[in-house]
Amino acid sequence: MTAVSARSAVDLCDLKKSFPVADGGNLDVLDVEHLTLSAATCTVLRGRSGSGKTTLLNLIAGVALPSAGVIRVNDTDVAALSEARRDRFRARHVGYVFQSFNLLSAFSAIENVMLAMTFADVVPKRLQRQRAAELLDRLGLGARLAHKPQHLSRGEQQRVAIARAMANNPSIILADEPCASLDARTAGTVLNAFLAACRQDGRTLLLVSHDEAVLSDADQILDISEFNRAEAGKAAS
Amino acid sequence: MTILTIALKSLRGRLLASTLTAVSVALGVGLVIASVLMAQGIREAFIASATDYNLVVGAKGSPAQLVLGVVFRIDVATPNVRYTIYEALRDDPRVEVAVPVMVGDAYLGFRYVATNGTYFAALPWRRKSFSLAVGRFFRDDPLGSPQFEALLGSEAAARTGLRVGDRFYEGEEMADYPFTVIGILKQTRSADDRAIFMSLASFWEMNEVARGLAVKPLTAVLVRPKRMSDLPGLHREYNVAEETQAVLPSGVLLTIVNMMAVAQEALTMILATVGAIVLLYVFVAMYSATLERRREIATMRALGARRTTVLGIVLVESCTLVTLGGVGGILVGHVAAFVAAAMLATRSGLVTQPFMFDAVQPAILAVVILLGTLAGLLPAVLAYRMEVAENLAPLS
Repeated sequence: MTAVSARSAVDLCDLKKSFPVADGGNLDVLDVEHLTLSAATCTVLRGRSGSGKTTLLNLIAGVALPSAGVIRVNDTDVAALSEARRDRFRARHVGYVFQSFNLLSAFSAIENVMLAMTFADVVPKRLQRQRAAELLDRLGLGARLAHKPQHLSRGEQQRVAIARAMANNPSIILADEPCASLDARTAGTVLNAFLAACRQDGRTLLLVSHDEAVLSDADQILDISEFNRAEAGKAAS
Repeated sequence: MTILTIALKSLRGRLLASTLTAVSVALGVGLVIASVLMAQGIREAFIASATDYNLVVGAKGSPAQLVLGVVFRIDVATPNVRYTIYEALRDDPRVEVAVPVMVGDAYLGFRYVATNGTYFAALPWRRKSFSLAVGRFFRDDPLGSPQFEALLGSEAAARTGLRVGDRFYEGEEMADYPFTVIGILKQTRSADDRAIFMSLASFWEMNEVARGLAVKPLTAVLVRPKRMSDLPGLHREYNVAEETQAVLPSGVLLTIVNMMAVAQEALTMILATVGAIVLLYVFVAMYSATLERRREIATMRALGARRTTVLGIVLVESCTLVTLGGVGGILVGHVAAFVAAAMLATRSGLVTQPFMFDAVQPAILAVVILLGTLAGLLPAVLAYRMEVAENLAPLS
């Protein structure tokens, strides 16, 4: 492990998330008193299936709202923003790599990356194609720019998803099981891409993973059961 | 990329479904356009052919049959009147022009029309003008020395393949009276395009019955009075006469147009139903596509697309589909009208103009685009309201 920098990129305070269930009650999924992710670090989050890892990522990304509590991302209270501002904030500050990549099948690799830039409107339009090509080239996909996702291997799809997450130069990258279902060699390539984003570009990484290779390279390893009181409550009951 | 390019790429991504939706819109719009064109064309063809003369004098019977048989050559010709009726009208001081017309048999389905040179005269009040594509007009040869010259309408010439100088006759019994093509008319977009014109003397000589008659027969006389104030008098006089009836073509035309209006009301209801079905299809197609793309839409939202952006994308998609379908439908409609016009001309002799661009078509297109886009509104709202986190996971 490397030293953890002092400035926080993500701060969670008294965060709760519950979902309504069929019997009219609520199911508590997350109950976090306090959690901080320091800037420019690589944190690995692990925990059993259904323990709230993806929900936590969604809350940090602002694609879901907490039932209570505060989520500060780069000192911005994400939940307090209007929906439009939250969309804009997410587009500009957070890159999200989904577990199943979520590439849009109608768009080529380069267009999938350009989509993120289109919605964020940070990179000038005339430069978007060039930047997308550069990102994909850095990830070894220079010859696959015009390929549709269905014509790419899973490893290649994953790298396109990483390039898309980095398209708007976000300070935080969230990745949900980025190496799941990848072979060891491809997983290594993907992990190197993430670590380069952290070590070379100074981005904050939060990776949900159980992969030993990922765990060994992380600055911080968090088990969700250790800080999620809802998970602890479930275990106790 | 823009909302438009994203929408277009999404449509291309589901090419088969998009094509089927656009084609269904095109077929629906095409049906409407073809119907409008044909209704307009038939109405205008009737008006164009019927309004040059104010009065048609023929044998007693159905007024509509007389006009349809003589002017449009659609119906069976009425019984004959004597040639002397024509002479009386020609010499009547109230009459500016009287044209004798004898409608007879046909050659390969193209009706023989015997008349004189006045039929083709360029008169200041005539809407229709006759000009030659090739050759010359036939001569008004005197009774007893027929020249058997034939002047062909444009379609009659094209369909029969006859050229100037060719000789032809219909049936072995007419082999002794072959006609020689001496000219071909330019297109007039009327029943005359399908006619084979000849002199009265030639017709009478060819016709076995007419040949033996001392007073030669006519089907009708087309009349133009000098003053419109003389029209009621002429109309009454030839209606009262025992042998003849006088018909105002405009009156028959009005009857035909009124009959068409009833048919068109029924057609309008059918077309409205077709339109509703097409819109329903667009709605179902867009709704299904939106449901199928829940994850993609959620992904766009997760990438920073606002609710209004995904709303706009779905609306642009439905607008694009109906615009493509609508424009395609106008083309399909014109092609269908062209085919229908050719069939109508072949079967009824009514020559319509299948290619007409007027304000109705852009209006139909605008309505289709508006309604089609509205049909995409509910799917767009569905996309707008879609919860991101719930739909990010794979659908399975």
